[in-house]
Amino acid sequence: MLRLWPLRQVVSSAGARFIPACQKSTAPEPAPELVEVFVNDKQVFVEPGTTVLQACAVAGIEIPRFCYHERLSIAGNCRMCLVEVERSAKPIASCAMPVMKGMKVKTDSPVTKKAREGVMEFLLMNHPLDCPICDQGGECDLQDQSMNFGSDKSRFTDIAFTGKRAVEDKNVGPLVKTIMTRCIHCTRCIRFASEVAGVEDLGTTGRGNEMQVGTYVEKMLQSELSGNVIDLCPVGALTSKPYAFTARPWETRKIESIDVMDALGSNIVVSMRTNEVMRVLPRVNEDINEEWISDKTRFAYDGLKRQRLTTPFLKDANGQLMQTDWESAFLAIARKLQGVEGSQMAAVAGGLVDAEALTSLKDLMNRLGCETLCTEEIFPMDGSGTDFRSNYLMNTTIAGVEEADVVLFIGTNPRFEAPVFNARVRKSWIHNDLKVAMIGAPVDLTYEYEHLGETVDVIEKLAGGNHPFCKVLESAKRPMVVMGSSCLQRSDGSALHFMVSTLANRVKAASGADAEWRVLNVLHRVASQVAALDLGYSAGVSGVREAKPQMLFLLGADEGAITRSDLADGAFVVYQGHHGDQGAQMADVILPGAAYTEKDATYVNTEGRAQLTRQAVTPPGMARNDWKVLRALSELLGVTLPYDKLQEVRQRMAEISPTLVRVGEIEEANFFKQAIEATKAGKTSLGKEPLVPPQQVLKDFYMTDSITRASPTMAKCVQAATEAESSVH
Amino acid sequence: MMFSSVGRSLLTVARQQVRSLHRTTPACSDKLFVHRDSPENNPDTPFKFTPQNLKTCDVIIKNYPEGHEAAAVIPILDLAQRQHGWLPISAMHAVADLLKMPRMRVYEVATFYTMFNREPVGKYFVQICTTTPCMLGGVGSDVILDAIKENLGIGCGQTTGDGQFTLLEVECLGACVNAPMVQINDDYFEDLTVNDMHKILNDIKAGKKPKPGPQSGQDHRFACEPKGGLTSLNTPPTGPGFACRADL
Amino acid sequence: MASRAVQQGFKQVKPILSTNHHEAKRRVLNLYKAWYRQIPYVVKDFDVPISVKMGREKVREMFNKNKHITDIRTIDLLVIKGQMELVETAQIWKQRPHIMKYFEDTVNERPADFLGKFYDGHDP
Repeated sequence: MLRLWPLRQVVSSAGARFIPACQKSTAPEPAPELVEVFVNDKQVFVEPGTTVLQACAVAGIEIPRFCYHERLSIAGNCRMCLVEVERSAKPIASCAMPVMKGMKVKTDSPVTKKAREGVMEFLLMNHPLDCPICDQGGECDLQDQSMNFGSDKSRFTDIAFTGKRAVEDKNVGPLVKTIMTRCIHCTRCIRFASEVAGVEDLGTTGRGNEMQVGTYVEKMLQSELSGNVIDLCPVGALTSKPYAFTARPWETRKIESIDVMDALGSNIVVSMRTNEVMRVLPRVNEDINEEWISDKTRFAYDGLKRQRLTTPFLKDANGQLMQTDWESAFLAIARKLQGVEGSQMAAVAGGLVDAEALTSLKDLMNRLGCETLCTEEIFPMDGSGTDFRSNYLMNTTIAGVEEADVVLFIGTNPRFEAPVFNARVRKSWIHNDLKVAMIGAPVDLTYEYEHLGETVDVIEKLAGGNHPFCKVLESAKRPMVVMGSSCLQRSDGSALHFMVSTLANRVKAASGADAEWRVLNVLHRVASQVAALDLGYSAGVSGVREAKPQMLFLLGADEGAITRSDLADGAFVVYQGHHGDQGAQMADVILPGAAYTEKDATYVNTEGRAQLTRQAVTPPGMARNDWKVLRALSELLGVTLPYDKLQEVRQRMAEISPTLVRVGEIEEANFFKQAIEATKAGKTSLGKEPLVPPQQVLKDFYMTDSITRASPTMAKCVQAATEAESSVH
Repeated sequence: MMFSSVGRSLLTVARQQVRSLHRTTPACSDKLFVHRDSPENNPDTPFKFTPQNLKTCDVIIKNYPEGHEAAAVIPILDLAQRQHGWLPISAMHAVADLLKMPRMRVYEVATFYTMFNREPVGKYFVQICTTTPCMLGGVGSDVILDAIKENLGIGCGQTTGDGQFTLLEVECLGACVNAPMVQINDDYFEDLTVNDMHKILNDIKAGKKPKPGPQSGQDHRFACEPKGGLTSLNTPPTGPGFACRADL
Repeated sequence: MASRAVQQGFKQVKPILSTNHHEAKRRVLNLYKAWYRQIPYVVKDFDVPISVKMGREKVREMFNKNKHITDIRTIDLLVIKGQMELVETAQIWKQRPHIMKYFEDTVNERPADFLGKFYDGHDP
């Protein structure tokens, strides 16, 4: 197996530096001479170094494979990709063989067919015939390929006498179910764990017929990306534990959607059956998540079925929340709002709210004369604050990290705040020799980084140019500074933001980055934040605290940023959202809303890329799509919002910010100089406390919002991760 | 009675026409390829390289280029096994820490090679070869195996109650000319007879160190020369100019 | 002259059955009469808790429902459908519930305004 890490050690210890391919790209290079290959007598030209399998793909022929995967290193151990090559004594493993000039590959010849048949026969000899009870059934590579390339009859006769190979199942945690007898030893999971996820816990033990894939000791697979091995496994050896025995792939409808568990907006496919989300799978998007998703994205869906608000609630005379219908809930709000000034109202939006609902809420509150609209997540508003989009976006983009050569993380733990992004950084660290440094609490990022310190004064020194690491930043061609939004939650957040922007601008000026390269990046934690800031919400609830409002509207605000003590005595609180969490606890009226799988909605990710979720299931009970609730409420309050249809809401969104409706696109924002000049006036002093991201170890990762807090699977993960911490292995 | 035998022969005929891939039970190892904590083998089992062995480790690691320290895993695991007698999981952890490699990568190596004993073995690890040449050569390994069993009172894969001897049946150890043979720790005892075997084991029990190498089976030969004397190269070597033209 | 030009502008449609209003009306009346005569048998055959008078009133109601239609082709098509219904009823291809479906209580119309639809729960 190709191991990448020793190579890296050699490179770093020898002090030599490879020049990553991307750096060379600035100077035009002569195109390498293409190699001529014949695939079934069809002539194709490929770059030297491509494998025979890839050359066949160029010719439009897909070679069957089990162990080969585009995003993993080449193992060449399943032998399914054998093809005949002219003037070669034996069939060759096409996944591992580089092309040679004039190679004549035959993918359909009798030799190839026989080779495949033979490999398949050997694989099936040690593979149980339990397809009817196997969760992979219907999406199993082994099933499909044995139908396509296998023999039509079996020579395996002694099943009653000695039995097939049987392997003990492993317990690798609450997410991945293992049935190791089904394993065909493709080692994809091992390679994924060591290359992409960065946890070297999986491996092969034993040899020959006794070989097993596993962890040797009983151990949880402690990774935030562990669910991806389920997709990678070509057979049913690794399947999803929560999804076990619940549905077959042909029974479910697949709806393409967007994830909201972090601010990356990973592309997902929601599998639905009988108005129930059965599972969540990743969807390929090279710009965002490649084909990985985090465990929270994949497994938190059972939180969508628990703790849900299904009817409106209204507090009765005894202060008890009682179920009611929509009309009486609306009327109760309308009655309470009579005589309340707009300045006495406030609204707070939470982290899972879509742009449509945010637009409707803002229009509604503005019509009532209220201007205090906040998000729960804090972002500095002093100086240029949120006026420039580039101040709060991940400007380099997620894919941009593959072009970067130095990344400086400030006050963030990307491994848990944006796991897929972290996998991307790791990929760059492995292949492009990316240099990573970090200011903040030392955490395990799965790759090596230079820890510059925990406190803010390091940033000050860096920004002032008197820190040894400045040299590295200045010599970089494409540096990135990534600031976690979690560190901006502090009281000195704005000073911190200013300091980091100063640093970014200095780095950009000092390094040889071209004008289009953007250094400053903000890594958000919640899915709604960028859209809310685009729409003109003020970030952070300090405005509410100052106003002491009579009436508070909570739109999915569940993090407990506002308590009753921040409001006027006897204030009236309306909560609208999908889960009975912290926000609903303090409410006088509860309006049930829809979760992200239940509505067509827009979410803007941390790059500023607007993406659409699609409705997979209907909201439970009397719950309604959020913007519709607000639209209906507006009618009863006498300030009817001028949109009845989703398209009309989106038109309104486009009026406010056209970026919100340009789905899948990134609007470039490059106003760093102006932003920093505008900020100079409002400068506060920096605090002395160390920068500590809230999610430091794996158990902090699983429960971060109202959906994951309601999820039993996530609760099991927290328990397992806590136990694993004290495990001796 | 007759019907059944006819039926059986018919079945045999029928079976012979189908070529079966699997005719025999696949030979399976009796070793476990997963780790289970036990009182004697767990991560807390005391294991620490002795200072002298640490020096040896350094020398071994220096054999490999910088950045490829992990290549030293096999010799260092062997060193750990020699120090401890067998290879507990704590020793694998010590090796992993020493070489700065993930523990799983050490487990992979330690489970792959059968000469790493991941379970406790006796002070004297008796491995008897029962592969075909040993089974057929000399008195045959069968009687030797029986002799060991009788002498030690244990079966294959077992350890004596006092923890002195472990008996294991192994495949070819590469001393076929001197069959039958056993390996006790690092020493080969070849050309065995039943008496030799008893004598060796009794000597060891008595604390003596029996002489390794060929025993009495082929009249105490020196190495692996033929029993009746040399059949070739039995004359002194000829001098220079042998069989050449006189004028040269 | 102008009127002819306008007429030429219209596409000539192919009649379904009737060529003029008179003919269409005749077909409607014929159908009505056929239904009118069939009602006593319907009541008897299906053993429905409906009197002959009620049945005939229902027939009249159903015909009056389409009173406003003037397009000949539409009328023809409705007549054809009416005939099909009649055949299905007379041949007792229908069952009791199919007959009683005509006498269903009035159903609430689906709301058309946003708020009505919101309370009702279907997508506006």
